[in-house]
Amino acid sequence: MIEAIIALLAGMSSVFLAYYLAALGHAIVEKSGILNLAIDGIFVLSIAVAYAEAVYTNNNILASLLLTAIVAALFGILLAFLVTKFPISHGAAGLSMMFLGYGLASLVGLPARNLQGSIKGLEIGYTIDINNPVWIAVYIIIILIGLGALFFINKTKIGAAIRAAGEDPAAAEALGVNVLMVRLFAGALGFALIGLGGAVFELAYVQVWSEGTGMGHGWLAFAISLSAGRHPLLLILSSSVFAGLVKYMTTIQAMYNIPTDLAKMLPFVAAILAMVIFMATPLRRRLAPPKSLGKIYFREERTV
Amino acid sequence: MATQAESSKSFFSSPSTETPIIKLEGITKRFPGVIALDNINLEIHRGKVHALLGENGAGKSTLVKILYGIYTPDGGRIYIDGRPVKIAGPMDAIRLGIVMVSQSPVIIDRLTVEENIVLGLEKLNMFAPIRRIREKINEVSKTVGVKIDPSTEVWKLSYTQKQLVEIVRGLLLGARVLLLDEAITYLPLEEKKKFYKFIRQFADEGGTVILITHKIPEAMDVADLITVLRRGRVVGTVPVKGTSIEEIRKMMFGEKSSEITYERLPLGSPSETILEINDLWVRGDFGDYAVKGANLKVRRGEVVGIAGVAGNGQKELIQAVMRLRPVEKGKIIYDNIDITNKTTHYLRLNGVGYIPDLPAKYGVSIENNILENIAIIPTFSKEIINWKHIKSLAYKLIREFEIKTPSPETPVKFLSGGNIMKVLVSRELTAATKLLVAYNPTRALDEATAIRVRKIIKSKVINENVAALIASEDLDEIFQISDTIVVMNSGKIVGVFPADKAKREEVEHLMVM
Amino acid sequence: MVIVRRVKPLPYWIVPVLALVVGLLISMIILYVMSGGVITPYDILLSIYYGFTNVGLLAKTFALLVIVGIGLLVSFKGAIWNIGGEGQFYMGVMLAAWVALFSGFAFNGFIAKTMMILMALLAGGFWALLAALPRAYLNIDEVPVTLMMNYIAYYIVNYITIGEWREKQYGYYRTVTIPESTMFQVIDGTTITLELLILMITIFILVWLMFKYTSLGLRIKVLSSNPNLLRSSGISVQLTILMALLLSGMIIGMAGAAYLGSVSHNISYPVEEKTPGYGYTGILVAWLSMLELIAVPIAAYIIGALHTAGINIQIMGVGGAAVVNVFIGSILLTYAVLITISEYKIKIIVKKR
Ligand SMILES: Nc1ncnc2c1ncn2[C@@H]1O[C@H](COP(=O)(O)OP(=O)(O)OP(=O)(O)O)[C@@H](O)[C@H]1O
Ligand SMILES: [Mg+2]
Repeated sequence: MIEAIIALLAGMSSVFLAYYLAALGHAIVEKSGILNLAIDGIFVLSIAVAYAEAVYTNNNILASLLLTAIVAALFGILLAFLVTKFPISHGAAGLSMMFLGYGLASLVGLPARNLQGSIKGLEIGYTIDINNPVWIAVYIIIILIGLGALFFINKTKIGAAIRAAGEDPAAAEALGVNVLMVRLFAGALGFALIGLGGAVFELAYVQVWSEGTGMGHGWLAFAISLSAGRHPLLLILSSSVFAGLVKYMTTIQAMYNIPTDLAKMLPFVAAILAMVIFMATPLRRRLAPPKSLGKIYFREERTV
Repeated sequence: MATQAESSKSFFSSPSTETPIIKLEGITKRFPGVIALDNINLEIHRGKVHALLGENGAGKSTLVKILYGIYTPDGGRIYIDGRPVKIAGPMDAIRLGIVMVSQSPVIIDRLTVEENIVLGLEKLNMFAPIRRIREKINEVSKTVGVKIDPSTEVWKLSYTQKQLVEIVRGLLLGARVLLLDEAITYLPLEEKKKFYKFIRQFADEGGTVILITHKIPEAMDVADLITVLRRGRVVGTVPVKGTSIEEIRKMMFGEKSSEITYERLPLGSPSETILEINDLWVRGDFGDYAVKGANLKVRRGEVVGIAGVAGNGQKELIQAVMRLRPVEKGKIIYDNIDITNKTTHYLRLNGVGYIPDLPAKYGVSIENNILENIAIIPTFSKEIINWKHIKSLAYKLIREFEIKTPSPETPVKFLSGGNIMKVLVSRELTAATKLLVAYNPTRALDEATAIRVRKIIKSKVINENVAALIASEDLDEIFQISDTIVVMNSGKIVGVFPADKAKREEVEHLMVM
Repeated sequence: MVIVRRVKPLPYWIVPVLALVVGLLISMIILYVMSGGVITPYDILLSIYYGFTNVGLLAKTFALLVIVGIGLLVSFKGAIWNIGGEGQFYMGVMLAAWVALFSGFAFNGFIAKTMMILMALLAGGFWALLAALPRAYLNIDEVPVTLMMNYIAYYIVNYITIGEWREKQYGYYRTVTIPESTMFQVIDGTTITLELLILMITIFILVWLMFKYTSLGLRIKVLSSNPNLLRSSGISVQLTILMALLLSGMIIGMAGAAYLGSVSHNISYPVEEKTPGYGYTGILVAWLSMLELIAVPIAAYIIGALHTAGINIQIMGVGGAAVVNVFIGSILLTYAVLITISEYKIKIIVKKR
């Protein structure tokens, strides 16, 4: 029994880490008030970048992770800059960026795949499973990151500044926060995490690439993040549930004889239910979304 | 301009060479449709309380927002301590020792007190834990005379406490100049007095205060100098000693100033009862009872004024009458019908007008135009909107109330505060064919406009036999407009007086008892 | 750098045109660089010309995008961000397919088509309502809920498509094709169908009337600008939210029926890959129109044309299906940013230290 559970945990560790990083990144971005509809596009792009870099560097995992984080962070900075400096709709900017991400992913991934096809025996990725004790480290790292993020967001000045920018950017500015800098920081950090999530997803879980790899998983990270009320520790719970569901989908289906498509639905239903539960109970005060999430910010706007 | 030069000369008896702490040169700011500030030249000196007065829309807030870096001026220069500076954001202002406190608390509800304070504190490293500053906060709080736990979340504080937190914040950030934009207007009387004492002390110790208020007597009490703005220009700067309320009023309002009077308006002739409140119990925002068994009667043709210090249940009472807050116990009878279980919508269709507190927030939608702001009220439109009818009504209101607007299709946000208020008041007075319910109907209006609004309300009550229930924290207002004065304290009605028999001392005593 | 509001907005048309041109330039650069010189600006211009002039190819996409765009606009006007167009669309498709295939109305084309549209309307409305109720009564953000409901809808439709409704004769991964009588009628010499055209025009007029003359339209607008005013006016905020999303879903649901009747004629598996994605592109249409109803057809035309152009570029080689996305993404992102300069201006402040 214990062994079975350990095998399960080990098996899902890579997806777990991927989702956790992306969902945490998303949480940080949104805490600063930026509505992040770009997530799926950037997640897909990150997957392609990680894949391509791994192919080009003959499976240099570290280089691949690093490059992906940087590329994603650049998009985070761009999004943060645009929605903070210009009075434009977060949704429009985010969704356009999602499309851009999808597109760039193809442009980045295809040549790399052609290259991989032409070199015999070039395999990419780093497998984390029961045979690789690193899986234990993954769990420990996740918990450490969770605690660190909690401290960072709730106890430090920059954390307070991020939350202030998300609650009411005009007031935050008046209180002495440089909303632009704070959002650039949150955007860079958050998207770097999303990028890392994508890279882990590709390198440790999928390990191959074709056009469209990862599409929808960014939205899944989005769902994970919201269903945990963007709370760094609750995120551990929700991403583990989602990771388990995704990883063992086929097993569960076979076990309970559920049709594939209905099983795929489960995480989304679960996320919505979780949100309903949060908001219908006193938890709402802690886990409510930032008040100015997605609101257009214009400093000279008339206030009442 | 001449006035300014002369007065500063006369004020600084020894022609001082002292450089002003703030000097503005040719500051100009345009908004769509208005020039909010037109070539402003002004000097502010160290150790002074400098009051900035002017009618609604004169440009006072715009001026201080420019000093605090929220607005960027279109032209002109700012000198601090004689050196030219660019203030690109509040952070720059704070670095220069300038901190602003405005009428609605600009502080974030879901953060704790210490978090709010720490945000502008550059000395504290971005990644440092916040609790390091707790000691300091407690220390500064003591000098202001407040006791607030720095780790409480702000939404738990009262309005007064929030304003105090802002002051503590200003001091902790090392403010040399405090910009107070109607920061004190909404405070209860007692707190106001404390606040003024603090301001005086701050200035005496070498600090500088720019104070914006609509209460001229208060400005005369606490300030050293008064600068009057009008339509974006400086009318003049005068020392408080050696000027009079009348003179200031004349500078602010021109000929209109002669209309300003606090005499009681003519009494109405009450007829049948239209609103009756029996043993009313209502809960406040935090779940405890705010209204505790109130009884009240309002007749057609009279104004019933509810006097009381803020936070004694007036707001909840008014909201319960308007069916915007559930009634726990008791009855409200309007026009012979028990409305305890009816909706706001019902009242709207049956001749009730309503002027809420914080009108710009609850009474109008500033993104929409005047027509839409009228048509949205169910009193004026059914499922299908008759725009022709609404338009002629709008023109009528614009004419009668002298609302300054380019057209009825102008978004309300481009009007000045006073004119926004006129849109609201005129609309609600039209809706009120039987009863007008209002809470602080003239707060944040300049004197001239406030008195005009009161006169309009009163004449409507008298001429059209309408009833009015008005709660106000402003005793001048209560005494000027009411036929019956009701005093509310701790959720109970503690006194009812016919206006001609009411004594100010007695009412004041009951309010704070 | 500081952004301030213009005292006088720039003339209406200059900025959109300018923004599109700059967006186009940027997308050309990106595609040229990223494709290693394979996709040249000339190719792109050619494709764009093709996209904008190939009216025949565009017509159906255009009409469907107009309907979906209007549907989204209805909720966006109330600041209710319905990202769930895809789900509402596919619920419409599914119910319309049910009417066509199993209801027994197929014997009469007129009745069947009317029922298809009606059922799709109800289905889309119902799907939107599922997100609207928690939004109105529990204040749960509608963005994530509507978004996730898209996936739930996809999987439900998938389940039915290769389950009960599967085409069993040849074993394709799709439903049976709807009967001839229920297919919408192509207008001679065009690619668009009569029913789709009528539907589009009717919806356009009705929504125009709603925002122009009804209290509901005004209430939805005020919902976005100041819900507090609704409350103190005695209007139920909850009900207004419900109505905004309900109407939005209903309109989009009808687009689903029209899609089934005019374009696809069956549902292919898996939906999430086979979807034309109008629920998402529609969002761009609504935003591109700056939430002005009159501008929705223009926006739909531009986006439809860019889409065609993108597909054309993709046919040229390098980069797969998603090249369209680079193209649309970069143009629209640039557009979204630049459009602000009609009302705002950028000021550079030099700081001397
Ligand atoms: N953010 C803004 N956008 C557009 N117009 C504005 C803005 N802020 C102020 N205005 C306009 O500028 C003028 C000056 O406004 P300001 O708020 O400075 O007046 P004020 O003297 O503070 O008046 P009040 O006593 O009503 O507060 C008014 O006509 C107002 O409508
Ligand atoms: Mg002001």
